[in-house]
Amino acid sequence: MSMRSQIYEWNGLAPSSSTGNFTSANAGRATSIFIGGFGNNITKPAETTATEFVVIEDIACTPTLPATSTAATLSANYRGQLEGFTPGNGLLGPRAFVQVRINTTDYFLDPDNVANDGIPGSASPYPRSLDFQPSFNLYPDVYVLPGQVWDILFTGYNNGSWGATTGADLYAFTKYTLYDGPDALIANKLLEMGISINPGNVDWYKRSLLSAQGM
Amino acid sequence: MSMRSQVYEWSNLASSGNSTLRRTTSDVPVTIPKDREIDIFIGGYGNNITKPAETTATQFIVIEDIACSPWLGGSVQIRINTTDYFQNPDVTRQRGIPGLASPYPRGSPSSVAVAGTALDYSVDNLLKSFDLYPDVYVLPGQVFQILYSINTAMNGTTTEVVAAFVKYTLYDGPDALIANKLLELGVTINPNNVDWYKRSLIEQQTRAAMAPANGGA
Repeated sequence: MSMRSQIYEWNGLAPSSSTGNFTSANAGRATSIFIGGFGNNITKPAETTATEFVVIEDIACTPTLPATSTAATLSANYRGQLEGFTPGNGLLGPRAFVQVRINTTDYFLDPDNVANDGIPGSASPYPRSLDFQPSFNLYPDVYVLPGQVWDILFTGYNNGSWGATTGADLYAFTKYTLYDGPDALIANKLLEMGISINPGNVDWYKRSLLSAQGM
Repeated sequence: MSMRSQVYEWSNLASSGNSTLRRTTSDVPVTIPKDREIDIFIGGYGNNITKPAETTATQFIVIEDIACSPWLGGSVQIRINTTDYFQNPDVTRQRGIPGLASPYPRGSPSSVAVAGTALDYSVDNLLKSFDLYPDVYVLPGQVFQILYSINTAMNGTTTEVVAAFVKYTLYDGPDALIANKLLELGVTINPNNVDWYKRSLIEQQTRAAMAPANGGA
């Protein structure tokens, strides 16, 4: 099991008293979905060891629908997954973004080369539904090399009442493949060769080695 | 990280005045005029960036998708330097791709309004009728704009929130040089083909290194 498909789902509702619920009071601040102190967290920062290689293949978060400036005073909410959100600032939803950070470098930039908030949930929604379908595909994938620290940062800007107190779920999601041991070495070799790192190409490299040995 | 997938999302939300450089929690909708093309990067409405979108001498951009809110007759146009990409069959100007053809978010209703104290939206879920293929190339040193326009006036008292979206891949450094080479060769520029070109170079170098060892054969 040296190539493993992995996912991590973050929910703003805290599973225990160890962390707090993520609410609109935390709006405007980039928060790590791994160790940010809100919702479900893990025990230490996400990082690769010397024998690991991670390929991030998808990131997504709760979407938002633009509405009208009077949405905050409206009595009716939107359908589907945004049903629990109380509208604010003309928006239905958290106006959320997710950014990938490798060590100290943010992956997504504005055209003026300034780091931005990342991928909007409206472009890469989680969960996907008829109401919200993806406009964004993380391709090429993002590589986390051995020894690097990586993070997924969630930022929501809508200051309407949302989060745990309203029963509205707030999600972020990442899908990645973890290459470990010999497969991580092969992943490094593929990187040197300019070949995309995916399970198919790692298997192809293994078969090439075996054929070179006459097997 | 010299090939990077990037997105830019614009909406008519600003904290003070008509535009803002950073999103804040106090952003509110601003009214945008109808029948005027607004640059989503530096147009002076909603969230903007610090300077026009342009590529340096070592950058190459491939625009892969554009979309916008379908209501109010919203459309998006791409302008490279001073040339509009989408034009009418008689080679006259047009407003670009309608939000009804390329909606953002995908699956959103075709109209959003207020009826009394209730949010009134159509019950449809719009899907895209348009796919930006072939992609649009922004060569090194070029300026590009994404222009958003509406043809129905916003309601002054219940200002509608609208958004536009662009997805592109930024090739930087050596990968931008390869992108230029692929352009010369007439090969589509995408991450797969850039990787293919790199592998070809490596194979050529390997063969060249092996040739003297084989007596030049």
